[in-house]
Amino acid sequence: MFLMSNIIKAATGDEDLKYVILCQKGETDAFEVLVERHQKKMLNIAFRMMGDYDEACDVTQEAFVSAYKSIRKFKAEAKFSTWLYRIVVNSSKNRLKQLNVLAKREGISIDDTEEKRKEAILSQSFINNSNPGTQMETREREAHVQKCITSLDEEYREVLVLRDIQGFSYEEIRDILKIPDGTVKSRLSRARNTLKDCLTKVIGDL
Amino acid sequence: MKTCKDIKNSLPLYLDDSLSDTDKKAVEEHIKTCPQCTKTLSELSKTETMVNSLSDVNPPPWLKYRIMARVREEAEKKRFVQKWFYPLQVKIPVQIFATICIAVLVVYIYRSGEERMKEVVPSSVPAPVMEVQKSKLPEEKLRSSADKAIQKEEQLIEKKEMRRESIPAAAVDAAKDVKQQFDSDKKTDRYESAPAAESVTLPAPALEKKKEVDTLGAAMKAGSASRTQGSMIKSKVLLRVADLNTAADEVEKLLIKYEAQNISRHTTQGKTILSAQLKNQKIKDFMVRLKTIGQIEEGNIPPDNTEENIPLTIEILK
Repeated sequence: MFLMSNIIKAATGDEDLKYVILCQKGETDAFEVLVERHQKKMLNIAFRMMGDYDEACDVTQEAFVSAYKSIRKFKAEAKFSTWLYRIVVNSSKNRLKQLNVLAKREGISIDDTEEKRKEAILSQSFINNSNPGTQMETREREAHVQKCITSLDEEYREVLVLRDIQGFSYEEIRDILKIPDGTVKSRLSRARNTLKDCLTKVIGDL
Repeated sequence: MKTCKDIKNSLPLYLDDSLSDTDKKAVEEHIKTCPQCTKTLSELSKTETMVNSLSDVNPPPWLKYRIMARVREEAEKKRFVQKWFYPLQVKIPVQIFATICIAVLVVYIYRSGEERMKEVVPSSVPAPVMEVQKSKLPEEKLRSSADKAIQKEEQLIEKKEMRRESIPAAAVDAAKDVKQQFDSDKKTDRYESAPAAESVTLPAPALEKKKEVDTLGAAMKAGSASRTQGSMIKSKVLLRVADLNTAADEVEKLLIKYEAQNISRHTTQGKTILSAQLKNQKIKDFMVRLKTIGQIEEGNIPPDNTEENIPLTIEILK
């Protein structure tokens, strides 16, 4: 009974549901609408989790393909977007694990030229189009923040990205990560404190 | 009053107003008196502002097309699988057809394998075949030599009878000659000539050679399978009676009664020899009747399935 009411509640408030149903019936084109709607959020979650734009694009692509493959398993118990974001968070974490294994095995780190190239790509993707001086400052500051975010443990990083960057509610975070409210709060508290310490170290006096 | 350590974990949550009223009050009371925690709260606030102000990245234009290309690829795969395996009206016939194919294949492989085995086994495992041949060979030898011996016997008996007819008194000597001849045969053909030679042993040494005659019987039995036609079998009976002449008469009458041909009678010292050719079918009955006349001490009877006349020698002793 409780489950049914949850489903009805989720279904009524979910604008994606009709496209999801079409996809489940085999209408592939309906999925394009869902991609259009959620790709930016998906990419940004992945980008803040990964700290790399190219990797974030790959992860987003994989997450959408995974979602399409298992779209029949979606039972509308939660919002489709919640289900989709869970997939992208998990895909990001899996990719990070792979990269860690590769880095340990090959003992290589991203060299300076590669990093510069990526920063150049990143600068093109930013929306900010103000004057070059401010843009440079903003980019530099954002790079520091991103470095500190990337330095966080995955369990703290995902909570911080979802709450402080993407602005999800505690309820949504609980549904996306499938962890209790108390855990969300405690992790968020720890993540913010650690990030503050990291930024104080990197930038100096905040 | 809470300490700085207690407050530390509540400060980040105080900023977005997610603390309970009690905790919120505790934080507010603490920061009024604690400049260190006030500074921390300020830093946390600035951190939050920096994080919140992080710019969003835009997805590249190709991302959507690439995603959709992959999705359509997956859809094609799905459709193929669904087309062949999802609807039951297709799935079941496909499964039945596949099962039949597998069954036919298994039978075909099994049969071809069996043929191959037949081809391979004789060359690769010759031992059993050789053994079979070996086991057959002596039997064949036995049969051919037994037949030979029987033929020889036949010829000799004919000779013997001729001699008996012409010179009855010299029968024993003649028989001895024959025996010698067969003894020599025995030396050359160790397999079966011995029993054959024994079979023509004449009255005098007959009792002494009883054991040998038994072996003859055994050999005859062994060879009997090949002699289904029984054309050259000779039988000899040793009959012990109380009254020699009366018994001889009775036996002669009996032979006549059973339509024996070429009946001949020789009387020597202490015994009478009756030779005749009797139809094989009647031999059994004849032997039964013979037992009423006297005591049969030795004798070999050919198998029943022979239809021809069998040369019969009956030695009547006291």
